[in-house]
Amino acid sequence: MKLLSIRAKHFKNLGEDFRLSFIAKAKKTSEDKEYELHEIAEGLYAFNTVAFVGKNASGKTSVLQLLDLVFSVLGDCQVQAKLYPFDGVGLDVIFYHEGFVYRYLTDLRVDARNATRAVFANQALYRKPYFKTNAKSVLDLEGFVQVQSLTPLPDDISIVFFVLKKAVPEAVYFDCDGHGYRTYKLLFDAVERYSISPAVLTKVLRLFDPRLRSLQVNDERSYRLSIGEQTMVFTDYELWNYLSSGTTKGLLLYITVVASLSVGFDVMIDEIENHFHKTLVENVISLYKDKSINRHNATLYFSTHYCELLDLFNRQDNIWICQPGEPVLVKNMYEHFDNRPELLKSKLFYRNAFGTAVDYDDLMAVKTELYK
Amino acid sequence: MKILLLCEGPNELAVINLLLEHRLLKFDYSDLLDMRPFHARQLTSPQLIPALNSYADGDIDVIRIGDRLSDKIIIPLWINNIHGISKVCTLSELEILLIISVGLWSDFRKVKSKIQPKVYCKKHIKINKRFYDNSSQFYRDYFSDCMERLIFSIKEYKRLHPKQKKDEGYLADLLK
Repeated sequence: MKLLSIRAKHFKNLGEDFRLSFIAKAKKTSEDKEYELHEIAEGLYAFNTVAFVGKNASGKTSVLQLLDLVFSVLGDCQVQAKLYPFDGVGLDVIFYHEGFVYRYLTDLRVDARNATRAVFANQALYRKPYFKTNAKSVLDLEGFVQVQSLTPLPDDISIVFFVLKKAVPEAVYFDCDGHGYRTYKLLFDAVERYSISPAVLTKVLRLFDPRLRSLQVNDERSYRLSIGEQTMVFTDYELWNYLSSGTTKGLLLYITVVASLSVGFDVMIDEIENHFHKTLVENVISLYKDKSINRHNATLYFSTHYCELLDLFNRQDNIWICQPGEPVLVKNMYEHFDNRPELLKSKLFYRNAFGTAVDYDDLMAVKTELYK
Repeated sequence: MKILLLCEGPNELAVINLLLEHRLLKFDYSDLLDMRPFHARQLTSPQLIPALNSYADGDIDVIRIGDRLSDKIIIPLWINNIHGISKVCTLSELEILLIISVGLWSDFRKVKSKIQPKVYCKKHIKINKRFYDNSSQFYRDYFSDCMERLIFSIKEYKRLHPKQKKDEGYLADLLK
């Protein structure tokens, strides 16, 4: 399954008719095909990396949360235990799966029996076969035929289950906050679920802290950490206090990236620079762009304040500029701005070509107060 | 010291990857910056930034592979560890290797002023019933079962093109 587009209403501050699409619109060079695009079907190209950039309160987190919501529907076929409101949200989603393009519509309501779950109202599922000749019109609503004769499901299970056949996570979402001492359980759950070898875990450990030799599960709530010549047993809480928070957050995220690349599920990271050293951020982005590593078409969606990261992108149609407002404005760099592609994107940001620069007068106003 | 291998096009990249996979070059993946060759013409390519940043304190030898390498390589100010730059030319086009591989070089020479190697190959080079389609997959399919044919073509190309420019090397020079 590959997500092609989202249309949403009533989701947080994204407005009544919020739209995103994830298929290539700009010219596709051979370098782009090598580094920035997945050919998910003949002639149909999706992005391997997608960036959302903007200053604070510009809607970046909301967009990633919306993606998380959509992937919960398409992957788990249900919505539960979210940290953002979903009551009353309308979704109109187009995705590609096994030779067909599907359009799925639903309205989400809070389940009266369990307020942490959603029920699916007004669901409809349509599909059309994909042909290379229709690659450019794949998102057109013409040609879709409703999928009929679906046997009833509980109202908290999405009917996309009939298409995708099983509930499998299609994406993992990382917010800025992390999971505290619970991180290690999530880490070893991922190691087990995706059969990540101890050798890989050891090498990832060393990326974050060269003193660390190994980390293993001791029992349900304790871990054996080898550091230098010593091996110590820590409870999860003790380990959380012992290791730096950056190491703990980074370990889980990097192992998830390893799993994503080896299996093919997508990863969404809010403020990617908050999780890693800049070199590691660049490394993670380049891993998703490396076809010899990213063999199963995984996509990395991330938000960032650091416009320099966008200099890693050759294309512009996989970058969205988020601007504050009511609702927030999320504009595609290729479709909504007219900048020479050869210019460094970070330079364009500093020149305020996208209306995202921090206001100079506001900065000086604070400084003036500090002088007093 | 690492080698930054820049391939001008996807077909050059496919050929280089084939040679690397079969360990036929003087260097292997571990000798390459980021353990891979790149499809890029210039050091300013965005795809190179993470690799260059992660190896900022080591020397780098750049090898450019392509048919026309007339554009001068631009070294951005922030890169100060380029030790040397060399060129490997595959004039007039990489397709010459395919032409040589089937013994059609003499025949092609008669028409080369009128027909591009690419066009010639689309008429004369095929695997089973599939004619050359300018794709990197074709190179992989064509040579991967018979790497001796690729090695022969690369060496024969050097023999047939003795007058390469002074600062340009041959693919054959990269072979073990």
